[in-house]
Amino acid sequence: MTLAESTPALEEEQPRGSTLGRYLAWKGGGAAISLVMVVVLGFFAFRVLPGDPAINLTRGRRVSAAEVERLREELGLNDPLPWQFVSYLGDLLRGDLGVSYVYNRSVGALILEGLGPTVLLTGSAALVSIVLGLWLGQKAAWTRGSLFDRSQTGLALVFWSVPTFWLGLILLLVFSGGFGWFPSGGMVTAGTDLRGLALVLDVAHHLVLPVLTMVAVVYAQYLMVMRASVLEEMTSDYLTTARAKGLREDLVRTRHAVPNALLPTVTLIFLTIGGLVGGAVTVETVFSWPGLGYLTFQGLSAPDLPLLQGTFVVFSSIVIVMNFVAELVYRVLDPRLRSS
Amino acid sequence: MTPTAAPALEWRGVTIGYRRPGEPELVAVDDVSLRVGRGETLGLAGESGCGKSTLAMSVLRLLPRSSRLEGEVLVHGEDVAAMSWGRLRAVRWTEAAIVFQGAMHSLNPVRTVRWQILEALELHADRGGSAESRQARVAELLGLVDLPVARADAYPHELSGGQKQRVMIAMALACDPDVIIADEPTTALDVVVQAQVLDVLSALVRERGLTLVMISHDLSVLAAVCERIVVMRHGRVVEQGPSERILTAPEHEHTRELAAAFPVIGDPASRRVVGRVASRDALDAQRTEPTPQRPEPVEGRSPDPADPPLLEVRDLVVDFRSRGRAVRAVDSVSLQCRRGEIVALVGQSGSGKTTLARSVLGLQRPTSGTVLHRGHPLPTDRAGLKAYRRAVQFVLQDPSASLNPKHTVYQAVAEGVQIHRLPGDEAEHVAEALRRAELNPPEAFFGRLPQELSGGQRQRVVIAGALALQPTFLVADEPVASLDASVRGEVLALLLELQRDLDLGALVITHDLGLAWNIADRVVVMHQGRLVEEGSVEQVLLDPRHAYTQSLLRVVPSRLGSRP
Amino acid sequence: MTAPASPVSVVRARRRARAAGLWREFVATRSGLVGLLVLAVVIVLALLAPLLVPIETLDVTRVTAGINEPPSAAHPLGTDPSGRDVLGMLLWGARVSLLVGFSATAVSMLIGTAVGMAAGHFSGLTQAVIMRVIDFFLVVPSLVLAIVLSAVLSRGLWTIVIAIGVTSWAATARVVRSQTLTIEARPYIERARALGGGHLHVLGRHVLPAVMPLVLANTTLTVGSAVIAESTLSFLGLGDATQFSWGSMLKRALDTGAATAGFWWFVLPPGLAIVLVVLCFTLVGRALEAVLNPTLRGR
Repeated sequence: MTLAESTPALEEEQPRGSTLGRYLAWKGGGAAISLVMVVVLGFFAFRVLPGDPAINLTRGRRVSAAEVERLREELGLNDPLPWQFVSYLGDLLRGDLGVSYVYNRSVGALILEGLGPTVLLTGSAALVSIVLGLWLGQKAAWTRGSLFDRSQTGLALVFWSVPTFWLGLILLLVFSGGFGWFPSGGMVTAGTDLRGLALVLDVAHHLVLPVLTMVAVVYAQYLMVMRASVLEEMTSDYLTTARAKGLREDLVRTRHAVPNALLPTVTLIFLTIGGLVGGAVTVETVFSWPGLGYLTFQGLSAPDLPLLQGTFVVFSSIVIVMNFVAELVYRVLDPRLRSS
Repeated sequence: MTPTAAPALEWRGVTIGYRRPGEPELVAVDDVSLRVGRGETLGLAGESGCGKSTLAMSVLRLLPRSSRLEGEVLVHGEDVAAMSWGRLRAVRWTEAAIVFQGAMHSLNPVRTVRWQILEALELHADRGGSAESRQARVAELLGLVDLPVARADAYPHELSGGQKQRVMIAMALACDPDVIIADEPTTALDVVVQAQVLDVLSALVRERGLTLVMISHDLSVLAAVCERIVVMRHGRVVEQGPSERILTAPEHEHTRELAAAFPVIGDPASRRVVGRVASRDALDAQRTEPTPQRPEPVEGRSPDPADPPLLEVRDLVVDFRSRGRAVRAVDSVSLQCRRGEIVALVGQSGSGKTTLARSVLGLQRPTSGTVLHRGHPLPTDRAGLKAYRRAVQFVLQDPSASLNPKHTVYQAVAEGVQIHRLPGDEAEHVAEALRRAELNPPEAFFGRLPQELSGGQRQRVVIAGALALQPTFLVADEPVASLDASVRGEVLALLLELQRDLDLGALVITHDLGLAWNIADRVVVMHQGRLVEEGSVEQVLLDPRHAYTQSLLRVVPSRLGSRP
Repeated sequence: MTAPASPVSVVRARRRARAAGLWREFVATRSGLVGLLVLAVVIVLALLAPLLVPIETLDVTRVTAGINEPPSAAHPLGTDPSGRDVLGMLLWGARVSLLVGFSATAVSMLIGTAVGMAAGHFSGLTQAVIMRVIDFFLVVPSLVLAIVLSAVLSRGLWTIVIAIGVTSWAATARVVRSQTLTIEARPYIERARALGGGHLHVLGRHVLPAVMPLVLANTTLTVGSAVIAESTLSFLGLGDATQFSWGSMLKRALDTGAATAGFWWFVLPPGLAIVLVVLCFTLVGRALEAVLNPTLRGR
């Protein structure tokens, strides 16, 4: 054992330059294990942790002892735990996530309905944040110490320190309550039957404040990361080569420094997808945006544990799959990871 | 381009300083005046920090913003500092181009070779040519440096160090500049590859009548390519003259130090004798009691060949798994080292010599074969291995990296004493080891941090850390490769002294045949994981039998210079 | 010959000098110093809250002021929908918010440092398993996981602490791991092994001291995120309703319609307090990072 104290572990655990197949298998395997862990956690968190699930599930509601017993039977709580897990897995594979108490509907159907609005909200926010954050970040780094740099980093640090939900509340107070420019919540104006372009415009109108709220917090993070990456590259020797060739300073930046700085930034952006989803929970709650985050909040305040369990498993799975896709995109972006 | 009388390059009273926050300005170049005529080849020699690279960068005004330049830098008679940005950008790469250390990070890692060469061509497209002709030019340039055109679509990480350096040369030639500045173009390259790159470079310079300024710490490399050599120290020119004369009859003391680092193999004056050169570092001057300086050189002594081997390696095989393939780093190697014997293990990078050393130290588990110490196989249990490591100690390549930067000299030397809980007074052990490594008085060094010591002193602290355990044998991996020429001698002299005074043997791993000639008793040549030749230093280096040893000796730069 | 104690004292003197030097550099960053001073004031105020505002004055059954009163001399920040003094609640809220922030960070740092060092030091199967766990916690949306944990566990302050601590350590572990890998690739680790040092020696003597500065800087940054996380969980109704915290104040503001009714004095102060405290922790953390990790200087 002692002889092997240091194995030749110089190779990284992600085999650089290995074949695409091996890479896919490695990353896919990792994502699959994470998915299994989510499912296991989703099951045990709601069954094994302190407290009787039947009591937990009925917390806050008036139920008789007989009703609790019927629920225990219904949930299969009287079966041995492994058997419960197997039947839970079976249900999950069939897409059966149980029945919500609040809505008295299948959790699966509720989640399907909420998926679209959440993707619309987080997708738009992510897009705006990435463009804004990366652009400001590289510009700030390149003009380090300038007024632009100092004001932009200062602003980003302030936004980064703002709780998302509070910013939402303030925006709501000012632009919806105060000026009345934007609707106070929801995705479409209630009681109307809009179609086509009118519907799109109505949704866009509802989208402005929630997206603004998310962007304010998220772009700041991207700005700081991009700024740090560009600063990291700024002392690189290949930039001296580029200058020696006679390249203009702005071309040195856009053709050489930024493409290199983007790579580590992209990794970090991928890692914050989970944070984006967390933001969705609070923003959707504040703006009553009918997505998965709002469902989570509903499940939480009822409390409606089947709904909460369902949103947890689906949210986590989405993020894991997104990360897997992101790894593949990264591999395409970085020639050093591409197979030769 | 109209020919004028102006020299290709000229520095007139150039002083360059770097502003540092909260500290006095660092003067990197101090009142230097130099002329480089058209078609001349000039070598700039000196140790790290002597200002040679700063001088080179000033030609294209590539110095950082924190720098301050006085005097004039003239390219074809035109002052670079007075040029407008537009004019400067036009001059860059078309009149003078720089060959950076391509093996390092001078190529953009996310762009292909073709993209990077084309970029230079497109920037200076006013020199004419269509897109097709530029593509053809890329192929032509790669041909000039003996690279297949297919390599144009490779990314830098897919190229070897030598290939990257060739790409750098091809890129520098892209816009037909008259002046080429090569900044340490072969540092970090293997001797064989170094010879190839130097061949390519000098052939191109000769054929095209280019003006070349080449920078290196290695006088013999410069002598192989350049007609004239300028030696710099502390920002000043200390000596200049024809290469031949600088190499064979250096006048300035510092030039002699530089030259001594690359001894002529076969010269009895440098055989098992290392001229100790007194170090004149500022820190040394602060010492309360300077190291006793011995003008007389240190001479080693030969071990008794009848001794039984202290360390023995039998049929050692080490395999690595790399990308699913097994790579054999060490291939059935057998080796013996006697008490008090210095054995040089010579080979190119990638020959498996470091892996062999790590196996001998028990840091690397061999795939098969055994390592024997005093006739007993290496213990495999933790306690046994720990005891073994007291007897056989390790000196690593880069002393700046092998000392924890946050630990004082005392902590570094005491580390082994503490691990092994040696009986007796810890401070006494440390002081004794420092004294042995000639860091006197030891107490003055206790509180120093590695960054406050010179390279040679650092390496002696590492050696003291090993000596504190009173070992019987040292394994030293490239002990002087990362040291400046002037301190190389002091470390090698110490190894010879330890051999003489303590009968301490050593397995010295090196790529430098001159080092073997300097201190070793025996030489073992390793190639692709196998031992190809073994014998006494005189026998192997003066009368090599194996073709590989012969080829190694052929590319030693000190011989390159003497080639027709 | 000097006394054997002298090398030890030399080392100590060295350390003191280094600490003094780092402090001078920290002060020179200015933004870090401002952050530290503001935090000191906030912490002192939070500690003194019971003296400044006796808890009885915040008892709903004993309040004398009217509900939703705008700011006045008696109530500089007005009153809440139960007639309690907002400024008093803000001070008491600082206690809970900071307590949760510091405790959750302690949990997070302990787990993150230990797991990160283990992931960087060991190899083979051990490492693969640890990496999988880190990756999982890195990727899974931490707020959602924290919601699940605090929904399932019994309500209370410590549930929130655990929920935040358990879901926020992965980023620290990632940073610590990469620093561990960097350190372990250094030749001085090889030298320590060749001197005969084992796992504990290498980790304790070389890796941990090198990792600590990073952990320290990360700690201050994590306290900020933990304060935000606490307010978010409280806002979602997962906090301890019996305690004042900045999050629960905002929750009450929303529940009672204070936010939509335009009672700004009940909505702005808790949020601004969070922004101020988190910003200060971030400034201190960034200054520490710059001072302790010279390669990051100027970022």
